[in-house]
Order: sequence, then structure tokens, then C-alpha cells
Amino acid sequence: MLSNHSNLVRNYNKVLKNPQLQTANYLVKQLPTATAFLSSKLEVVYASDHWIDYFNFDDRNVFGKKIFELFKDATQSWQKTLKDCLKGKESSTGIEHFVDLDQKDRWFEWTNIPWHDENENVIGVILQTEDVTRRVENETKLDRQQVLYNEKAKVAKIGSWYFDLAEQKLSWCEMTKKIHQVPDDYVPNIDTAIDFYKQGHSRNTIALALNKAISQGIPWNEKLQIVTTKGEERWVMAAGKPIYKNNQIVTIFGTLQDINDQVSAEIKTKESERLLRTLIDHLPLNVFIKDVNSKKILVNKAESDFLGFDHPRDLLGKDDFDLLPRKTAELSFEEDQKVMNSLKPILGKENTCEKHDGSITTFLTSKIPLIAIDGTAKGLVGISLDISNIKQKEEELRDLINVTSLQNKKLVNFAHIVSHNLRSHSANFSMLLDFLVNEKNVEEKENIVKMLIEASDNLLETLDNLNEVVAINTNTNLDKKPIVLNEMIHKVTQNLQAFLKTHNATILNNIDDNIVLPVIPAYLESILMNFITNAVKYKDPSREPIICLNALRTNGQTEVEITDNGLGIDMNKYGDKLFGMYKTFHNNKDARGIGLYITKNQIEAMNGKVMVCSEVGKGSTFKMYFNENN
Amino acid sequence: MKTINSIYIVDDDPITVFGIKKLLSNVIQCDGVESYGNGKLAIDAIKEVLSNQKSLPDIIFLDINMPIMDGWQFLEEFIQLSINEKVRVNIITSSIDPADLERWEHYRNNSKHLITYNNKPVKREKMQEITKAV
Repeated sequence: MLSNHSNLVRNYNKVLKNPQLQTANYLVKQLPTATAFLSSKLEVVYASDHWIDYFNFDDRNVFGKKIFELFKDATQSWQKTLKDCLKGKESSTGIEHFVDLDQKDRWFEWTNIPWHDENENVIGVILQTEDVTRRVENETKLDRQQVLYNEKAKVAKIGSWYFDLAEQKLSWCEMTKKIHQVPDDYVPNIDTAIDFYKQGHSRNTIALALNKAISQGIPWNEKLQIVTTKGEERWVMAAGKPIYKNNQIVTIFGTLQDINDQVSAEIKTKESERLLRTLIDHLPLNVFIKDVNSKKILVNKAESDFLGFDHPRDLLGKDDFDLLPRKTAELSFEEDQKVMNSLKPILGKENTCEKHDGSITTFLTSKIPLIAIDGTAKGLVGISLDISNIKQKEEELRDLINVTSLQNKKLVNFAHIVSHNLRSHSANFSMLLDFLVNEKNVEEKENIVKMLIEASDNLLETLDNLNEVVAINTNTNLDKKPIVLNEMIHKVTQNLQAFLKTHNATILNNIDDNIVLPVIPAYLESILMNFITNAVKYKDPSREPIICLNALRTNGQTEVEITDNGLGIDMNKYGDKLFGMYKTFHNNKDARGIGLYITKNQIEAMNGKVMVCSEVGKGSTFKMYFNENN
Repeated sequence: MKTINSIYIVDDDPITVFGIKKLLSNVIQCDGVESYGNGKLAIDAIKEVLSNQKSLPDIIFLDINMPIMDGWQFLEEFIQLSINEKVRVNIITSSIDPADLERWEHYRNNSKHLITYNNKPVKREKMQEITKAV
């Protein structure tokens, strides 16, 4: 070390005062430090081997050379101090840089001391150098780290602070001040620091955390909000931890990171996510996203409601095979794969979806492939609109059209019946009147008048029948009431008691007392009366009439069956005419061909349906169908 | 000209039967006028005549709407019978239903017999025309 240089100089002087210069030279040569003696012209007079070795001067003639010839890059300050030294100015030091033989950067520290003769005249400069390369390098490294640290803090927006418990002194680093938007000369204290935190959760949390750190040594790391001096709200990551000395907490050290941008971005992302979620959950559409294996990776509320789940997340990872009957799932899966393989979307396709409970929903479905960067599909987005209601309305409309056209047909048919019947009567009148006018024979005249009366009676009867039919078809708004079928059957059989007894007819009623039909009571009575009397009227002469009554309730429809063991009807011949007007099929004097026609009209007026099956010689079965809800 | 020996009236309405008979008596001299209440009775009678090799009716007055067997069902069976003579069949009806006219067209074109379609009431002139021998 060069600290002791005044002693050193004294020693040198002793040696050099020796008249034997050779000896002096020899002594300097062996000095354990790198030392050189420069003349008043700053030429090297003596130099230690260490000095010469250190600077690799051995190949040159060092002695007698001016020092600045040896150190061509010498700094101005060194040059100045050397010159000052010659003027008797006391020692000073400095660091010089040079490049060694290996082209490595080296640094040395120089110390200049004036060289006095025995008369205290300055005769030169004593120069000592020490290699400080490592020290300089270390210092540079430290500098660099400091810079790096500062830069990092700046980029990451991390400030630091510490709070000295003994002195109750709080120190903020530059960055911490910057985060708080306070000037660099701002002096914080622990109370104002806490007041920077936003009132409420943030301030309460930091106060509590600081308290716990001081009293219990618990570190903290919290996401909080501060309000800067400029009134800006900022999200910060505030962390702090106690520092111990001799088992005592002496300092709380902490960091403060400005994470406002990240948190704002996060909040924004969350908000848009919530917006998107709210949007898709409240769309009146089933929305789903499936992966390549058709497993659902996103579904909305409508879809989870449709599939009977409480929350959309319960559906994630499931596929249609987990949720729907096999057939429906297979169709959907095939469709998915087609969309993903062809990369072509399916748009607005009408699909029916049957669920496990058998309910069928009609959807207008679109499936759009989600195409990844590599051009292959990584899934699909599906959107389904439930059009069951529209479908049902369509169906109802179609039914209505069918009913209307049926009614129209019936009307045309009825018009023909009316026209035909009235025409045949009027033709008879016309013909008979023509005869009457031209007839001379009194007896024959009387005969013709008798026939005219008969024709008139027939016309009246026909008009009555037609009136009845019109009444049935126009009084469809008569109130329908729920009627216990068996009560009505009981009433009818009571009324027919004598008739049934005369013909030895038996009624076997297998109908349950619970069967209730929505009907117009008078019509039901007339219908039952007609079927039962027909069964007896057209009995097979070889056996006593037996009438079986049955009822069956299926799918909101009640079927009532009336079976007899009568003559039966040849369905091939008469099937299409059975319920026609004025059609009779047996040689029965009472047959007017109006009963079944009216019965059919009455049943249809109540939105019912009637069918018959029959075999000649065995009997007939009439079946009526009534819907519970029209 | 061939004389008319036998006429069948197939109709369930006694007034019409009476009327046709009366009109016939004014335009033609024929003793063999028979009436049948429905198609079944008439076709049975014809079948019996055929099996006994007696003479068939020259003219048949046929109603359409009748019980048991109507006019069309009668025609259906009648045109299947192997009859050498050409028989005149006069449909007498009050129906103006186009469907009935179509069916008449059908039978007229598928039979060697002369089948006419006449709306009631039948006037004397008409009766004269449709009682001519074929």
C-alpha cells in the first residue's frame, strides 16, 4: 500500500544520498514495490524491477526516457500532478488506464511524491504505481449492477422502501416516489405513506399488514390501490417484510410495484369476458363450442337449460353421446365431423332433436368450423334456434287448412245431397202435375193426387232431415261438457229398456266408470242411441243380439267401441257409403239411410272421428275417437 | 223396326216407377213392364232369365241411388254378363253431380250396350226418344 509514502521517501533519500550511485541504483532496483524516480525533466532515473516488469518495459531502454514517452496515453490530470509535484506540491494519487501486451485492459493507481535533495530542493518526482485492475473491474461491475438494478426497477416499475423502526424514519427510493407521483425531494413518513392507499379495503389492508409485520414479523404481499398526489388511482403490488438484527425487528423493507396497466388490462379482459358471457347466456339461442372430438368446451345458459343442467360448466367435456339418445347423438356427431373435415359451415339447417324423455324439439342449426392457424379445424361453433313453436304453429295451420278443406268438401257434398234430394222431389212434383193436368180419367186423377200428397210428405221429411244435419253442423259452438260415459250409457239403455227386452238384446258394458268424454251431451245420447238401436235392428235372425261396449284411453285420446253380433256389412261394397245420406244396405223396411249420416255429423261436430269394421254374418264394430283437448 | 217386348224399371221410388210406367203407356205399346226396388233384385232377375234362356229386357230404366245395390253396382255386374243382344239402359236420375256423369261416361265407353243419362223429370218427347229400339 502507498499509505506510508512519507516514510518511504525518507528511506529512499537515505539510500540515494549515498554517493555510490551504483549502490543506490541497485537498491531501487530491488524495491518490493513498483517505483520509479523521475528527474526534474521527468526522465526516468531509477526504477524498480517490479515497475519495469509491470509495464513490460524490459525490452526498451527505460532509463533517461521521458515518462510521457513511456505513457503516451497519460491523462491530463496525471500530467498536471506530475508537473505540480516538481513545484513541490505534496503527494496526490490517480488512476490510469493502459493496455498490456495481451491487449487486456489494465488499471494502475499512481502516487506522486516530490523528490527532495538534502537541502530540501525538489530534484524530481518519486512515482509509485499499484495494479488496481481488479478493483476497477469490481467497481465497474458494481456500477453496472446498480445501473441494471435501476433500469430493472424502472421497467418493472418496482420501487423499494424501508422503514427504520428505531428512528421511525421511512425512506423511499426514486421509483417509489415516481409511483406516488411525488417530487424527488419528497420526504415521506409512515402516516402519509399509508394515507396514499385508497380509503377502504386498500388502506385498511396495508395498515393491518404493517402492524402485523411490526408486531408479529409477518410479511405481506397484497394487490392494492393507491391514490397518487395527482389524484390518479393506481393498482400496486405492495410487499413488505421485517429485517431482524439480534433477533429484533429493526427495519421493515418493502417493494412497491406499479401493476396498474396489468390490472386494468385484466379488469378490461374480465369485463369483456363478462359482457360476452352475459350476451351469449341471454341470447334466445343455444350456443355451443365443440372441440375436434365433438366434446363441448363452451355452452351458454340456453343450451344447459335445454339439456336440463343447472350450470353451463356442468356440460363441459361432455359430448352428445353423454347427453342425448344414441340416434340423435350419432346424427349430430356425423354432422360435426363433416363440418370440421370439409371446413364448410352448415347454416340454418332444420334438425329435430329427441331427448331421453322422448320430447322432440325442432332447431334451426348452424355449425361453423373453427379454423386454426395451420388450416385445420380445431372445433366448431354451433348456434341453434328452437323453432318448435313456429313448427307447431305451422302444424296447427296445416291442420286448420285440412279441417277447412274437409269442411269445404263436406259442404260441397252436402250441397249435392240437398240438390239431389230436392231435385228428385221437384221432378216428381213436376211429373205428377203434368200427368194430373193431362189426365181425363177421374179415378186416375185421384190416384195421382194421392201420389202428390205422398211426394209432399217425402219432401217435408227430407227437409226435416236436412235441417237436422244443418243444425248439427252449425251448432258446433254448443258447449261441450265432460260427461261420464257410463252415466250416459245407463240413461240410453234405460230409455231403450222396452225395445231391448222385446228383441232379447243383451248389453255387455266393459267401460270403466272413470272414462269421461268432452262432448255435447245431447249428441252423445243420440249417437249411443243410434248405434245401439242399429245393432238390434240389423240383428242376425239366427241369434239373439249381444252388444259389447268397450273404451280405451291412449295418448290423450279415448276410443269407444260398440261391437254387435248382427248381420254385418259387406265393407268392400258399402264401406265408402256407410255413413252417406240416404244409403241403406239391408232389406229393412224402417231403414231411411239417415241415422249413420247424422251420427257421423254429430261425432265430427265434436271433433271426434268414427270408423267401422264389419264382416257379413259375424257383426260390426263401430269405433269412435275423442280427443281430450280438441 | 224391332218391337219392344220387355222393359225393366229399376228404382226404389214408387212415384218414379209410376211416372215412368205412365209415360211409357203414352209412347209405346208394351205389355212386359217389370219393376224392381233395387239393383240386386233386377240383376238376379236378369241372371235367371239368362239361365232359363228366356228373353232379356229390351230397355232398362235405371235409378242410381238405391239401397242394397245401386245403379252403378248394377251396371258393373250387368256389363260383365254374356249377353248377345244390345240392351238399352236409360239412367234416370235427379243427380247433377259431375262425378255421376263421369261414371256414366266410363260405363258407356266400356259396354256394347246403349247407355243414356237422363235427368228427372223425363218429358214425353224424351221418353219417345229413349224407348226407340236399338
